[in-house]
Amino acid sequence: MRGGDVETGRGDEGGRRGRRVRGVSGALVPAVGRTVPWRALGAGAVVGLLLVALPRLLSVEPDPWLSLNLLRAAVLAFALGLAFLLDDPARHLTTPVTTRRWVRTGLRVAWVVPPAALWWTAALALVPEKVRPPVGSVTLEAGATAVFALAAAAMAVRFGNEPESGPTVAAGVLTTAVLAQVLLPDRWSLFVATGDPRWEAAHERWALVLALAALVWGACGPEPVRRGFRFLRRRPTAADPSAA
Amino acid sequence: MTPTVSASGLSLRYGGIRALDDVSLRLTRGVTGLLGPNGAGKTTLLRVLATAVPPDRGAFTVLGHDPGTPRGRQEVRRVLGYLPQAPGFHPDFTAFEFVDYVAILKELTDRGARHREVRRVLAEVDLGDVRGRRIKKLSGGMRQRVALAAALVGDPGFLVMDEPTVGLDPEQRMRFRELIAQAGEGRTVLLSTHQTEDVAMLCNRVVVLAGGQVRFEGTPAELTARAAGRVWSSTERDPGALAGWRTGTGSFRNVGDPPPGAELLDPTLEDGYLLTLDDAGAEVAAA
Amino acid sequence: MNTVMQPGDLQAAPPAVRSESRRSWAAVFALARFEARDLLRYAVVLVTLFVYVGYTLWGLLSEREGMDAFPALQNVDRGTQTAPLLLGIALLVCVNRATLRSRRRDTDRHFDVLVMEPWRRTVAHVLSVVPFAILTALVVLGEFTWQALRPGAVGHGSVAELAVGPLTVLLCGALGVLMARLVPVVFAAPVLVIGLFTFSVFLSAGTGDAEWSRWLAPVVGETSSEALPSDLMGRPAAWHALYLIGLVLLPALGAVLVGGGRAWPLKAGLAGALALALTGAVAQSGGVSAELTAARERATDSPEKEQSCVREGASTYCAFPEWTGRAATWAETVERVQSLAGGSAAKQRLLVRQRIDATYGLSGDSALATSTTPHQVTVGTRWGGNRVPEFASAVASVLVAGDETKAGELCDGRMVTVMWLAVGGADTPLTELRNVRLDDALAGSAIVLTPTNPLSMSAGQTAVVVDLLKRPRAEVTAAVKDHWKELTAPGVTTAQVARVLGAEVPEESDDCEA
Repeated sequence: MRGGDVETGRGDEGGRRGRRVRGVSGALVPAVGRTVPWRALGAGAVVGLLLVALPRLLSVEPDPWLSLNLLRAAVLAFALGLAFLLDDPARHLTTPVTTRRWVRTGLRVAWVVPPAALWWTAALALVPEKVRPPVGSVTLEAGATAVFALAAAAMAVRFGNEPESGPTVAAGVLTTAVLAQVLLPDRWSLFVATGDPRWEAAHERWALVLALAALVWGACGPEPVRRGFRFLRRRPTAADPSAA
Repeated sequence: MTPTVSASGLSLRYGGIRALDDVSLRLTRGVTGLLGPNGAGKTTLLRVLATAVPPDRGAFTVLGHDPGTPRGRQEVRRVLGYLPQAPGFHPDFTAFEFVDYVAILKELTDRGARHREVRRVLAEVDLGDVRGRRIKKLSGGMRQRVALAAALVGDPGFLVMDEPTVGLDPEQRMRFRELIAQAGEGRTVLLSTHQTEDVAMLCNRVVVLAGGQVRFEGTPAELTARAAGRVWSSTERDPGALAGWRTGTGSFRNVGDPPPGAELLDPTLEDGYLLTLDDAGAEVAAA
Repeated sequence: MNTVMQPGDLQAAPPAVRSESRRSWAAVFALARFEARDLLRYAVVLVTLFVYVGYTLWGLLSEREGMDAFPALQNVDRGTQTAPLLLGIALLVCVNRATLRSRRRDTDRHFDVLVMEPWRRTVAHVLSVVPFAILTALVVLGEFTWQALRPGAVGHGSVAELAVGPLTVLLCGALGVLMARLVPVVFAAPVLVIGLFTFSVFLSAGTGDAEWSRWLAPVVGETSSEALPSDLMGRPAAWHALYLIGLVLLPALGAVLVGGGRAWPLKAGLAGALALALTGAVAQSGGVSAELTAARERATDSPEKEQSCVREGASTYCAFPEWTGRAATWAETVERVQSLAGGSAAKQRLLVRQRIDATYGLSGDSALATSTTPHQVTVGTRWGGNRVPEFASAVASVLVAGDETKAGELCDGRMVTVMWLAVGGADTPLTELRNVRLDDALAGSAIVLTPTNPLSMSAGQTAVVVDLLKRPRAEVTAAVKDHWKELTAPGVTTAQVARVLGAEVPEESDDCEA
């Protein structure tokens, strides 16, 4: 292993560059993987699965309405775990490093996607087939909720200075979910039952939530070079010392 | 000496508070001390220079790179080491793993070379023996040194340190001073501190910051010289003095504007610092 | 520093101990005040507080439906219960975070050696929710008072029902503190909220909404939106409040116990809280007693035995005691309808009787059967909004057909007269007509709601009525009065009625002609 590194070190400039990027990414993947807050994510996932498995555990016959809402609760529990994903206790130390912020957060997300997909499959499998809601639609709901939590976490990183903003984000996500349920008028309702005629329309709204959350997330992903919103601020007019 | 870091017109507001107000300064190789009372804007200035937060207005360059663009900021970060005031850690990492993690994030490429570098900086901060121990098992002083190692890894040309000696015992502090002095050889080091002795012992330049503005920029000797003729001894506390205290010899040491015929004493850096702050306060009051 | 112990000091010791204990409790209250203020720094608490108060105010100030002007206070008290849950959830999460703050910031090692013991700090955290509960109580009281002061308000509220909102807030806060002491990670509280919600949904689904499981939730809603006389509702509100008090004390004292409190009064209090909660839980799950069932049957089948009657104008109004004050309001509608009628109907003495179906309490809505008593009109327990034209339609149909059962069978041209009487005298007749029809339209056939069985209008009848309502009221009134006999003769066709009143004659024939 070490010998190989030494050999590549002697390679030509272009080769070293290519090697360098690959090498760094390679070492970065496991290192970032260790900083993912697995405990919070795991707790959310386990609680979610428990919720879905509740009818089986208590051997109660589930109906479609109950299973849909249990799945939604499970997704929310998992999303609360995701709210902690961007927590980094060493944030102050690791902010001014050369690895870009979107690479670091992207890697964290990449670590979480496979287990999340596995978890979702398991959650769906725990719901008996005859009472399972349409898989595509609930997956859209789950995806939108997850991306919403990630967008909230990214916003907390983008606009805050707190290394571990997970609790705040989780509280915000939970409150938003409750408020959305309580305050959204019927014609904008997101939480409709399976047989409801508004099912289709509600899922168009879910797609909209997903798109908006993804946009916010994308906007908050990179680290800003200027403070605040760029379009609200003019470029600095102070003399640039580098020009002197 | 040509400046390695130069900033002009740096301003930053947090809410309604002007944390930095038109700060311009030039740093050269060696250790520069940044003195200032609490809330003077020291940490904000360091965070700006460490590219952790962009300024509202103004610009600066580090070793010829302008962090005002994404590419320039990358270049600055390649030559930057930053020790924040309250560095956090992943407590389950060992000291080695943590510094290695930061080294990876600093894009230190070659695995073998990186591990050698991590071992080197850990040895440099005297943590060679405990590098396999988990951070949660380390003492406060050791953790501080892990953070210093993380800042030093990759041999940065510009080192920014925010009160690195806070909370260390006298022996650790001496050891730390030694480390910082070493680090200052061939590098540009900016060190924020409350301790005037740190500055007196370590720094070849000193900047005094108060109310978000630079109040003094020069050598420690120049800062000390500001108090020349303004420190005197008396048998009672002089009511006209800014500060006065009974020394171990029993007589009072007064700082301020001495009465005619007073017995003048040799000033220290601290006297110069206090008088600079007082002048700055008077300036603010007059404005 | 240089005080010397005097022998007298020893004698002064007992009061010193007492003042010591008073001082440490004063410190607990000071910390509770501090923590309560600190809770306001959490955006989540501020937002939900704002939403709760704003939502309540909006509900009071905006008259979404005319019915809001005539509240039944035995339903209003229950209406104050759900919204505080929102604030409660936010408080649960944030009190939990506040309790874990010193652990997260690693100041526990420092705080644990301070004069105030950790268990007292736990008490302060529990107490920090009290100001929010008091605020909730004020909002609830304000909401109830506002409704009670409306001129159209009837019935009685229950203190036990009003207490549910503030108690829910306290319960949530206490659960947050307990959770922090049991599972000291910030992640636990939001998950607990989801778990509790799911559990409650699951319990109600799993036990088929059995009486005992239904009442385990802090806030117990009802399916029916109708109002019943207070004594027939059968909600064990007082027992439930007792149960909630026990439920609040359990996690509160439990948290203090886990937080290191070891005094025997604490353990005794915990046992007492458990006893309270159990007593409440058992007592509230008793279900409907035999006496209540009998009373409900009496009120449903023979309301005249329970009611008192008043005379307003020519007619008599019989209502359950809580509603007798509404007779004058009903009389206005009756007189308005009767003033448009002709012949004997204009002077007909009616008996307006309030009827309810209380058989199943509040667990279901069921339609009232029509009455066969001549000249008797049924009125429900709710008033305002659509209930007014619905009652007016019933009055008009009885004036025309003689009794409610015959009115339900109306299909000929008399329906035009009925609807003219019902809405012709209203301020905005076309709107009232639209509202009283099930399809909310002014064309085509539709069902017309009344307090009992609905009436039905054909498309032709609708067209004629709309035509009449667009013409000057005096002109149509005169025409109706002049041709009253002809218009109300059984079997008269809609076409005939249209011709008599000078309206455009519809093309299709009536349903009963076909």
